[in-house]
Amino acid sequence: MKPFDIVIVGGGGAGLYAAMEAMKTNPSLNIAVLSKVYPNRSHTSAAQGGANAALANKAKDDTVELHIFDTIKGSDYLADQDAVDILCSEAPKIIRELDNIGTPWSRLDDNTIAQRPFGGAGRPRCCYCADKTGHTILQTLYEQCLKKGVFFFNEYFVLNLSVNDSRMKGLVAMNIKTGKIEAFPARTVVFATGGYAKMYWNRSSNAAGNTGDGQAIAYRAGIPLKDMEFVQFHPTGLRKSGLLVTEGARGEGGYLVNMDGERFMSRYAPEKMELGPRDLVARSIETEILQGRGFDSPAGKYVHLDLTHLGADLIKSRLPQIREMSMYFEGVDPIEEPIPVRPTAHYSMGGIDTDNDGRTVMDGVYAAGECACVSVHGANRLGGNSLLDILVFGRIAGRTAAEEARKFEPAPITADEISQTEAMLRSYMRPSGHFERYGTLREELGQTLGMNVGIFREASKIRKGVQDLKDLQERFTHVRVFDTGDVYNTNLLQVLELKNMLDLAETVAEGALAREESRGSHTRTDFPQRDDGKWHKHTLATLEGGSVKLGEKPVTMGRYELQERTY
Amino acid sequence: MTGATELHTEEKREITLRVHRFNPQVDSKPYFDDYTIQVEKGITVLRSLNYIKEHVDASVSFRAFCQAGICGSCGMRINGISKLACTTQVWDELSKCKEPGVIKIEPLRNMPLIKDLIVDMDPLVDKMKHYSNWIVSSMPEPEMGQKEFLVSEEEFQKYEKATDCILCASCVSECTILRAHKEYVSPAVLLKSYRMNVDSRDAIHDTRLGELVKDHGVWDCTHCYRCQETCVKHIPIMEAIHGIREDAIEVRGAKDTSGAKHAEAFMEDIEKKGKLVEATLPIRTNGMAWTLQNLLPMAMKMIMKRRTPPPPLLVKPIKGIKKFREMFREMTEHVKAEQKSHKK
Repeated sequence: MKPFDIVIVGGGGAGLYAAMEAMKTNPSLNIAVLSKVYPNRSHTSAAQGGANAALANKAKDDTVELHIFDTIKGSDYLADQDAVDILCSEAPKIIRELDNIGTPWSRLDDNTIAQRPFGGAGRPRCCYCADKTGHTILQTLYEQCLKKGVFFFNEYFVLNLSVNDSRMKGLVAMNIKTGKIEAFPARTVVFATGGYAKMYWNRSSNAAGNTGDGQAIAYRAGIPLKDMEFVQFHPTGLRKSGLLVTEGARGEGGYLVNMDGERFMSRYAPEKMELGPRDLVARSIETEILQGRGFDSPAGKYVHLDLTHLGADLIKSRLPQIREMSMYFEGVDPIEEPIPVRPTAHYSMGGIDTDNDGRTVMDGVYAAGECACVSVHGANRLGGNSLLDILVFGRIAGRTAAEEARKFEPAPITADEISQTEAMLRSYMRPSGHFERYGTLREELGQTLGMNVGIFREASKIRKGVQDLKDLQERFTHVRVFDTGDVYNTNLLQVLELKNMLDLAETVAEGALAREESRGSHTRTDFPQRDDGKWHKHTLATLEGGSVKLGEKPVTMGRYELQERTY
Repeated sequence: MTGATELHTEEKREITLRVHRFNPQVDSKPYFDDYTIQVEKGITVLRSLNYIKEHVDASVSFRAFCQAGICGSCGMRINGISKLACTTQVWDELSKCKEPGVIKIEPLRNMPLIKDLIVDMDPLVDKMKHYSNWIVSSMPEPEMGQKEFLVSEEEFQKYEKATDCILCASCVSECTILRAHKEYVSPAVLLKSYRMNVDSRDAIHDTRLGELVKDHGVWDCTHCYRCQETCVKHIPIMEAIHGIREDAIEVRGAKDTSGAKHAEAFMEDIEKKGKLVEATLPIRTNGMAWTLQNLLPMAMKMIMKRRTPPPPLLVKPIKGIKKFREMFREMTEHVKAEQKSHKK
């Protein structure tokens, strides 16, 4: 195959924006997008809330500066302040640009783009389209890419980065529809594969495919990952699936109730009760469960989100989506019975370490979106900043790759590399003997992470988690793919995704063990305070000799000095 | 207080999923496999399939991604109806089984089969491209990002529901025209085309419309309403299809295409006679030459089977035609007035 100037891995918001911007920057470039799902299926579609931008349509006194401050404070001062500057300064422009190419934003009375309040923000600056913002943004970007003639390789699963003497030569990927292993020689590669929070499996709100493929591939190729220990938990996920029940349910007056029928938030946040900040509510629910006051079921422990006292009329008119979700995914009608909920892993702050232009340490390799860590979210991401991140830094990475592509000379990917990969895949289809099942390993991965590297962390537990992960890695060498066919082998894909999650889980656990402080989403019960003296820095995880090696990187400061984070 | 486990023991049932199987590498034709499993209340069809894949038969293949009803990956036919497996409760399906306790799972129709429950989405993407299912902004690219368009709430409402579409292709699967003509534009693409054409930011309304009125386009729909009935997002797809047709007649005139002419001839008959003059309908729609060339063999067959429509002169107006014409005129005026006020 003729070498590509740019190959973008991932067809969500970041990948599509990168493709669009790259084509705009240099229309003569040969650009391809590889995605393991049709781009319009990407997890960007699940973002409901919106994207923050200081347009000042709703609150006339909103400014970019206020947005910057909210983001830095929200990050518990771990975000790089120059990166946050870019994120927030570019925000109004990129939201308008999306409007200009057809995103159906909801509107205010004066026909301007609608904005609403969101957690952790001092002004109503979250731009939205009803409760389907991510979906409509993704559709718009996909439409525009089809219009521009972006070359899509849909349903291709990337297996590895081809590197020779630290020189990147391109990618090796599997065509899922045929099972064929194909080489994609490329001058530059942009990773935009989304987050890794699915490693918590049914304690995660993420799509089944949010398995951190890009991060794992980069990590195995020697590129460092940053701040992997920071995983955001949302307080109310559905018990069986981990899917989100939005904050609206509590906003309208829903109660959180334990097994004894007690509204337990009175013990944790007597004034705000159920409407306390996200991390506090999540920790409270988790405490109830850990102290044995949760309900038990085959699908796991949980507490009740009770809406029954609100009455059928209010539930039907104000919370129709939440009612639909409970009925679809739990078989529970919240008018009749309480909804079973527990905290759920929602967002990965960590990712591939990049500079403000999307570059990684390896020449020709870039990353953007949830897959990358610039870092704009630090230890805790604010609602409405994730869509913004993928748009702003997707565009920047696309532009940088387009500007730099011709600097790198292409190199061929050898037939040997292809046949080695083929042999590796075949080795999973062992005919007989001792074997492990994918489902069992994945279940145990989610469990040990939830128990030992979840909301509450402490040295002894995390060590147990680290050991469990080592055992799981060992058992993974015996995993068996039962489907031996070539065409659309989802059994094989699941196993490859599991390997990606296992490798990344080690970086999460090791990072969590090392960071002896509590900051943002990372709560150490044995180190309950933030420790700026020792830990006001990023952690870097690299793969050396088959295990995680931790390093560090300073946080870029700016106008804002360290302060205690209180709301 | 009793123990928590005791309080929440959930009801379980034994059910069978009868799953469509086909692996193009080994099977000459599709077949069904039965999987009987224990399922508790509250479990979706997708979770049941996942269970089977992980514990019973790892080769069962289907697409699934968000598992939350927003990505559109897991469209399949469950007990004969196209829907999302992730938002379908097993217990709700049990009352719809033909054979008690057996839920039939098949791939979507009208798209090429790849394996088991997986169909090829490429033809749908190709149609989206053919009908320019994107906004060509009326704003030049260098000016973008500096200011927003002003869009009224009223205009937003015109396409708000249409933007709910997740391209799950349930409507494509249920479409009765597509079963006969694979080239037909498809309900999903008509919906998306409508959404683009009512957006004031778009600059290629007329070009898109020009493509939609051609063969295999908007006039081929027969109003069976299957798409709308089965839409997983409850989008009024037929309103979009009617919207494009009304737009086409208004912008391009009633003599524009055979579809428009057919609608016109329909109206003429109803006004004059209160019913259709079927014998001349094809001539007025497609012209004499086309009718002789394409419908003569069928006309002969109809004569043989004594199924010919009455000759035009024998089609008498219906009883009470005067009163009917009054009503018809009133309705026509009402519709016109409504359209006018809508445009304002």
